[in-house]
Amino acid sequence: MNPNDIESVEVLKDASAAAIYGSRAANGVVLITTKRGKSGQAKVSLNSYVGMSEAYKKLDMLNGEEWIDRAVEMINAQWEASGTGRLASQSNAERRKILGLADGTYNTSYMYDDRWLEPGRPGLYLINWQDEAYRKGVIQNYQVAASGATEFVNYYVSGNYLNQQGIVKGLDYKNYTARANVEVKPNKKIAFGLNLAPTYSIGNDPGVEGKDNIMHQIYSMSPVQDHPAGTVNVFDNEKYPWSTSTNDPIAKLNYYIGETKISRLLGTVYGQYNILDNFNFKTTVNLDQTDSRSNRFQPYTVGGTLANRTNNPNQATYGSNSVYRKQTFVNENTLNYHLNFDKHDITALLGQAYNFDKLETSSITSQGGYTNSSITTLNGAVATVASTGATQSVLLSYFGRVQYAYDGKYLLSGSIRRDGSSRFGSNTKWGWFPSLSMGWRLSQESFMKPVTFINELKLRGSYGESGNNNIGDYSSIALLGFYNYSSNGLSVSGQAPSNIINPDLRWEKSRTYDVGLDFGLLGSRITGSFDWYTRKSSDLLLNVPSMLSTGFSSYLDNAGEVKSKGWDLEITSHQVRKADFSWSTSFNISHNSNKVTKLDGEQKEILIPSSFDIQHSLLRIGEPMYSIYVVKQDGILTQADIDAGAALYGSQKAGDPKYVDANGDGVIDANDRVIVGHPNPSYVWGITNNFKYKNFDLSFMFQGQNGGHIYSLLGRALGRTGQGSSDNALGFYRDRWRSEEDPGEGRVGKAYSTFGRIKNTDWLYSSDYWRLRNVTLGYNIKDLKLGSQSKLSLVRLFVTLENFWGKDKYDGGVNPESSNTNLSGSSDYPEAGDYGGLAIPKTVTFGLNVNF
Amino acid sequence: MKKLSLFFLIAGLLGSCKMDLNQQPISSATSDTYFKTANDFIQGLNAIYNSTRGYPDRLMNLSETRSDNLYAVSDGGVRDWEGINSFHKTIASNPYVIEAWQTNFNGIFRVNNYLEQLAANGSTAIIDESLRNRMEGEARFLRAFFYFDLIRYFGKVPRIDKVVSASQAKSIGRSNVEELYALIIEDLNKAINALPAPSAYAAADKGRVNKYAARMLLGLVYMTRSGPSLGVEGAGLNSNEWGKAVEQFNEVINSNEFSLLTSYNSIFDYGNERNKEVIFNIEYSSGANPVVGATFPWVLVPDNWFNSLGLATQGGLTIRPVSDDLLKLYDTGDSRKTFSIQQGYIYGNVAETRSFVKKFVDLTKVPANRMDWPINYIVFRYSDLLLLKAECILNGTSGNIQTDVDAVVNQIRKRAGLTTELTNVTKSQLMDERRREFIGEGVRWFDLIRSGSVESVMKAWIRKEDVAKQMLDFQVNYVLYPVPQSELDNSPGLYTQNPGY
Repeated sequence: MNPNDIESVEVLKDASAAAIYGSRAANGVVLITTKRGKSGQAKVSLNSYVGMSEAYKKLDMLNGEEWIDRAVEMINAQWEASGTGRLASQSNAERRKILGLADGTYNTSYMYDDRWLEPGRPGLYLINWQDEAYRKGVIQNYQVAASGATEFVNYYVSGNYLNQQGIVKGLDYKNYTARANVEVKPNKKIAFGLNLAPTYSIGNDPGVEGKDNIMHQIYSMSPVQDHPAGTVNVFDNEKYPWSTSTNDPIAKLNYYIGETKISRLLGTVYGQYNILDNFNFKTTVNLDQTDSRSNRFQPYTVGGTLANRTNNPNQATYGSNSVYRKQTFVNENTLNYHLNFDKHDITALLGQAYNFDKLETSSITSQGGYTNSSITTLNGAVATVASTGATQSVLLSYFGRVQYAYDGKYLLSGSIRRDGSSRFGSNTKWGWFPSLSMGWRLSQESFMKPVTFINELKLRGSYGESGNNNIGDYSSIALLGFYNYSSNGLSVSGQAPSNIINPDLRWEKSRTYDVGLDFGLLGSRITGSFDWYTRKSSDLLLNVPSMLSTGFSSYLDNAGEVKSKGWDLEITSHQVRKADFSWSTSFNISHNSNKVTKLDGEQKEILIPSSFDIQHSLLRIGEPMYSIYVVKQDGILTQADIDAGAALYGSQKAGDPKYVDANGDGVIDANDRVIVGHPNPSYVWGITNNFKYKNFDLSFMFQGQNGGHIYSLLGRALGRTGQGSSDNALGFYRDRWRSEEDPGEGRVGKAYSTFGRIKNTDWLYSSDYWRLRNVTLGYNIKDLKLGSQSKLSLVRLFVTLENFWGKDKYDGGVNPESSNTNLSGSSDYPEAGDYGGLAIPKTVTFGLNVNF
Repeated sequence: MKKLSLFFLIAGLLGSCKMDLNQQPISSATSDTYFKTANDFIQGLNAIYNSTRGYPDRLMNLSETRSDNLYAVSDGGVRDWEGINSFHKTIASNPYVIEAWQTNFNGIFRVNNYLEQLAANGSTAIIDESLRNRMEGEARFLRAFFYFDLIRYFGKVPRIDKVVSASQAKSIGRSNVEELYALIIEDLNKAINALPAPSAYAAADKGRVNKYAARMLLGLVYMTRSGPSLGVEGAGLNSNEWGKAVEQFNEVINSNEFSLLTSYNSIFDYGNERNKEVIFNIEYSSGANPVVGATFPWVLVPDNWFNSLGLATQGGLTIRPVSDDLLKLYDTGDSRKTFSIQQGYIYGNVAETRSFVKKFVDLTKVPANRMDWPINYIVFRYSDLLLLKAECILNGTSGNIQTDVDAVVNQIRKRAGLTTELTNVTKSQLMDERRREFIGEGVRWFDLIRSGSVESVMKAWIRKEDVAKQMLDFQVNYVLYPVPQSELDNSPGLYTQNPGY
């Protein structure tokens, strides 16, 4: 949504206020009201900005020299371990002789490149891959809007164009949007409205973020190569023998195509009929339709091995074309009644809604490569495979609400809602969701009048229930999957049930209590609010692990209960309110925590599967959701530790990491995992200062979070025990253990380790950060005269800096809030995490707003 | 008030859309409407066969890699097979171990569901009674096949012979191996009665299981039961049923459906699938969507070898070298060695000097999709049956003589190009011959267990072979794999972990 089209944004914290929105409100409600025309002279405005962005932070990795230093150390250690009489001091020639290799051949595990140690490293390139990938990207945005109103019609129309170059080569985004909000009131009884907001966007992303994607490869690619960046192990160039086998990620940025075009239409038609002055009927029809088309193309010239590129040209070329259409159709009909007499004020609402969602997908992918890789559409493919799919769901709702206010002092509201969802089991589709709220404006009471420094004080309390049906369509039905077989050289189709049926699948329910206080002090010089809430979510829709003897590893069930609680404080103070100078400060902080209080039956914990190795997170009764559960590292093992009988994982030796034997059984294994943190931050805060001096305004905003943790599976690529010499390692590996005399900083063990790996705290990072999110300096001119006649009612010039300053503790990645990969590797347990994320952009923009 | 009635009219109309809440899937079938026709039952059966597709890869990862045939310690100890090969204690969450438990039980679920549906709707859906019986026989054979695989890897497992709910499964513990064998033997006897000989199948059905496959499996079951118990609750019951095994093997021999090929290489020839030596195979072919091709040809093959030949990376990752011990066991001129083993290669100017198993790779048949190799996997072959029978004879079954043993062994050796004939072949010589003959076929590990020599052989081998000092000590408990940790976690106390883990 274009921010310039927004009139107001309201966050509903009140549990009761949200309840009327039903299941869609399970995660809270944000009401966004778009602009509409106001009576008076027609207004035209022009808003534009142009800017530049680049990476806020690059990941500290070993540079070329440091990589060589580590590789030599590892190769020598591997050589010494490979047999008796093999010494690090032996030259490559001597090693070659011992191995019985022909002249000019190498064993890269036991021999290094002689050129590494020669001055100037002839024929080699030391590459900083991140520098090659990142760039300065230009951002442009232009918007024109016009609005106005007469007695019968009001209108608001706008058009917007955004062009955003990404901070990495090959990444960009264009977006065209328009909006028309029109309302017609032919007479006092009737009103009609139409809101239309079509958008069209074109995004290019060659596949930058996430596991095994380009950023991941940029980080892990060997920084020493025998070809320059952009040509490493692509086209006619052979892989450098000591390098990872990855094809040049810069070439992928340059030659991969990943284009997504999305057109979306948001349309609302509504009509209102005033049956009586205070009694009306309103009907609304909403359509939200998204059409997306993605083309991908990956030429063989930047994939595979040189021999394969030469011998089987075009075979590794891959292309796909996928399309989806997502439609949401909502019809809502309400009766609204309003009664006001004496000091009583009553509003009542009765309504009903029908919600229909449909998703249609189709995709075509190439099979067996291309016949000609200069054709980037599937026309060039040897063969293609196509598939289509469709799912739909229906939600039916009936709801009513009564609000009562007495003398503007006492407020009472109650609502009830009944929702039926097609996603649930045949007997359990419907749920009741009531709510109740009360408010007391103490500042209106006569006994508060003497307390002059308080000018506004309101106490609120509410209770609300809401439902969650955020599961796949048809989740309660036994679906058949295709499990084909081959017979006599031909495929024969096979079908079998693909899940455990659950006809009793029902609504997940959240019950929220909220108590709040709104206040205004010293003539509203200080305003703010404080909210405290507690929420119990029960019948959680969880994929519960089942015994594999059922034939399946998990099934969707209503299992478990989570209690969350927290508070939220917002304060705005106007320190200076003078005509020429003003200064105000807004501060907000919220604290949230949750813990699992119940799981399926007698179950005490559910270990969340991991896409890599053993599980590293769990749901355990009494602990926060998705608590991180790994072995603790405690420095580095010394020979003295081992001699004293320290617990070891497998064949650990001196210089390997020392792990904590949590269960005290004398060995390190998966049973020594303990909870070491939780992913959600405990505190999230922001502080904004606004200054105005004459025509100037200045604001700066800090934000930050504390108390959460990241378990970075990117560490698997960049910093694992047993990692080979070719993958590059995180920067802090330069301070690794090298010998008992030179043990480094005690965090990273020796480079050549052979004991394997166990999930431990080496990939655990605090997600704490603070950042100067935004600084804006503006200059405003009112009623600027152009010539003798025309006048610009407002001209504003501004410059904005985003993300220019800050600090975080995540040195295993670039962005503590990165979320690009499902760490569980299973859609049953969505666990967002970082596995090769992009830096956040650091942006400077210059803007101009003109109102005619 | 007219408008008000309009409101209720609209509300009423939409209320009648309540039926809308009963949405049925648009692009997938549901089991409510399935198993109504003969074709449904054929497809249901094919889906059970589908559960065998991972069997050969599993043999290579859990059997071949576990045995003294491969010395597959890896660089940095980071490959999933490292813990299998090096006898790590902490492999209860190893993906290969989980796969073995999960895939077999998923196959068992499909059989149980199938048999229940067949009992309920079979007689109306499938008019031809012999076809119906054959289909039941196929399903029963496959259930026995899955359970036997489970017993050999894990020992005791839950005995599930009907579809169970998630909550029922939480109260079904691990059954004794004897009870599991009882189910296997019952299923196999029913299968033997219901299944035809391979020659009786129509061409399109040649890939289906036949009567003699069931007999061979039953014979192998009796032999496995006859092996020593080794003090673990594993596959061996010390039951001395070598004679029962021979009865089954003789039925296969006397059928004249099978014979030895004259060339070792041609058994595995991509153009010679389902040859006279093949008693049971799992079928794979290329080019279909979804793929029904094989991956086992490259499981033990390093990717760089394919790369060095200008072929695409397949997925075997790094080398799993053949042990020096096995390399030395081959006599000069043994064609099985040259056919099965690739001795090193050079990629660019980088040399790999170790050997690996390339037995199932035909470099002219590399598919465009690495998951789609067009070659069947031979589970039971006639030479195996003959050597197994010889083993039963050496274990003292009556009515057979040493010269029968010598004849079979010499026949196999002669085919491999070895001219010196052996006489008075011992059990140990027979074991060695099997090791040479079946390299890469996942037979060695179970031979070691069945012969009872596993502990002494593995301990001596590790001492000799493990120059990198990456392997841990062998203990006899390791003849069984651990129960997947997830199963212990999901229902604490229901299963107890196998000893040694």
